[in-house]
Amino acid sequence: MFRFAWLNLLSRPVRTILALVGLSIPVLGVVGLLSLSNGLRGLVGDTVKLVQGVMLLRTNTPSPIFSDIDPKLVSEIRAIPGIKHVAPEFWRVAPPVENTSTVLRSLTAGSSEKRLANFLETPVVLGMDIAEHNRLDSAVYQRALIKPPSVGGRFLEDRDKGLNRVVISKKFAEQYANKDGSPKKPGDKIRIGSDEFEIIGIYETASLLLDVVLVMDIGTARRLLKAPDDALSALYVEMNDPGENDRISKIIEDRWDEIDSRGMNEVEASFGDIMGEIDVLLMMAVGLAFGVGAIGIANTMIMSIMERVPEIGVLRTNGWSSRQVLSLITLESLILGAISGLVGCALAVAACWTANLYLTDGIRLIPTPAIIVRGMALALLTGILAGSYPAWRASRWSPMEAIRYDP
Amino acid sequence: MAMIETQDVKKSYPSGEGLMEILHGVSLSIPAGHCAFIVGPSGSGKSTLLHLIGAMDQPTSGRVIIDGADLTTMSEAQKDIFRRDKIGIIFQAFNLVGNLTAIENVLVPFLPRGITPELRDRATEMLKKVGLGHRLTHRPNKMSGGEQQRVAIARALVKHPQVVLADEPTGQLDSHTGEEIFRILRNLQHESGTTLVVVTHDRRFIQPGDLVLEIEDGLLKH
Ligand SMILES: Nc1ncnc2c1ncn2[C@@H]1O[C@H](COP(=O)(O)OP(=O)(O)O)[C@@H](O)[C@H]1O
Ligand SMILES: [Mg+2]
Repeated sequence: MFRFAWLNLLSRPVRTILALVGLSIPVLGVVGLLSLSNGLRGLVGDTVKLVQGVMLLRTNTPSPIFSDIDPKLVSEIRAIPGIKHVAPEFWRVAPPVENTSTVLRSLTAGSSEKRLANFLETPVVLGMDIAEHNRLDSAVYQRALIKPPSVGGRFLEDRDKGLNRVVISKKFAEQYANKDGSPKKPGDKIRIGSDEFEIIGIYETASLLLDVVLVMDIGTARRLLKAPDDALSALYVEMNDPGENDRISKIIEDRWDEIDSRGMNEVEASFGDIMGEIDVLLMMAVGLAFGVGAIGIANTMIMSIMERVPEIGVLRTNGWSSRQVLSLITLESLILGAISGLVGCALAVAACWTANLYLTDGIRLIPTPAIIVRGMALALLTGILAGSYPAWRASRWSPMEAIRYDP
Repeated sequence: MAMIETQDVKKSYPSGEGLMEILHGVSLSIPAGHCAFIVGPSGSGKSTLLHLIGAMDQPTSGRVIIDGADLTTMSEAQKDIFRRDKIGIIFQAFNLVGNLTAIENVLVPFLPRGITPELRDRATEMLKKVGLGHRLTHRPNKMSGGEQQRVAIARALVKHPQVVLADEPTGQLDSHTGEEIFRILRNLQHESGTTLVVVTHDRRFIQPGDLVLEIEDGLLKH
């Protein structure tokens, strides 16, 4: 049966190949995209191991930059037994840095790699309660500060309260270089919105997603972003025993509906979600391509059955049931789907390898087995769905009708 | 006992506005193991009658009883199985599957259920009987008309059917090849004891002892 289906496909090689190409391309697209988003998540995974605390955000906000929290909660949460530190934070998307808007930059960037990188590099302001943060055991940016002598500089201290002083990433120091082309260093100035800031330190977290944060005093950040004096986005919370993170998180979530507790990895991933909107567009394009691929397969199968009406009549008169004819045609389009899937996945893996040779900045396209399986499943499903109508048509002819049919 | 029996079978096809009746009430009886010829002018309804006997089509009224089973009361699925197990059919246009070899064509009725080595042996044996032992793996387009028809005969007989139906099996062959085909058909029928029904307008192949059913304008002549 399988051999028969296979031979039927081989007897019209050009048509079969066209159908294969039509479906391979969307498979390539979807596997490539999933690999990319997986690569981004992998990037996050690298750094979270350091992080011991949890972040409290408003329920249903994807990222701290969209979150706000009632300042009155701080003291109540601090009073919960088992909690060691509660560090208030204020997060927002930064105003244009050095008078350049990221959206503009990414649209005008030459290569698509640059464009992607730029979208991930939308600067974010983190205003922190300096005193509280310096008491934390697992503060991300403090730890990531590049120590002298390689760059020099220091982290925020109590004396920086209310002042236009900022700690930026090495990546931004290079990206927003001085006029003479040298990277920014402690002591240099950087424009954030309409304000001039003094750079006091440079950090590097090794995570593309975290290295977009401009770290400053919480009061300074509220003033810069014209937010109320007590505006809060998130609370970074450490427990006495990190093993209790889950239990205490649950207590907090049960008590305040509007609060959601997240591991830092989830929060971090949300920065990548600025990508989310493009993802949707790309996925729509891939979906469209799948539609076109499906139509290609359906078309191939319809042409194929119309040519074979008398032959299908032969099968029926020799005792094939309509269901067995249905299976044959479905099997043929399933094989088309399977080969398209294999070809598409192979191309995608090759494309990922090639892309990884050229991609810098730590982005890696990682086509995991799970992603390949998903690509294959989509291809098989498309094959079956696209073949179902022709198969149904072919199975409906009566043996006599089919055998007398004059093509 | 009759292997094939039809009782007042009528068959109409939709034509233009209304229906056109092709068979006007055919009653016949063919005993088991016999060879019957359906003869008559072109367009008289011979093929139509054969299709009804082979459960490939449904009569408008009347009954078709094969080996005691009434086809007109069978479900589609039952008819599929009936065709698969009890009927071997041979057409004028050979009707082989172009993508399959001779032996695979013989095995077509068994393809959906899977080919066992035993079935393969049976098919090989059958092809040898029709004189195609040297053509097992040839495709139809590499074979002559006579050879193709012999593959079709092997396919019809490989399942040991109760009834073999042949619709003008020599219609597209020269007379010499036609004789050979009939010789093979008769030999195999003799050997297997199956009931053979042949539609033809060529009376040369009729032998004494054969049942001859003459059809004209949709009615049996007596
Ligand atoms: N499926 C069909 N639809 C309409 N008319 C048909 C159909 N099959 C056969 N006929 C008509 O029935 C008549 C008898 O056909 P057929 O049984 O093939 O005759 P024969 O085999 O004796 O030459 C012909 O006029 C033919 O056109
Ligand atoms: Mg005819």
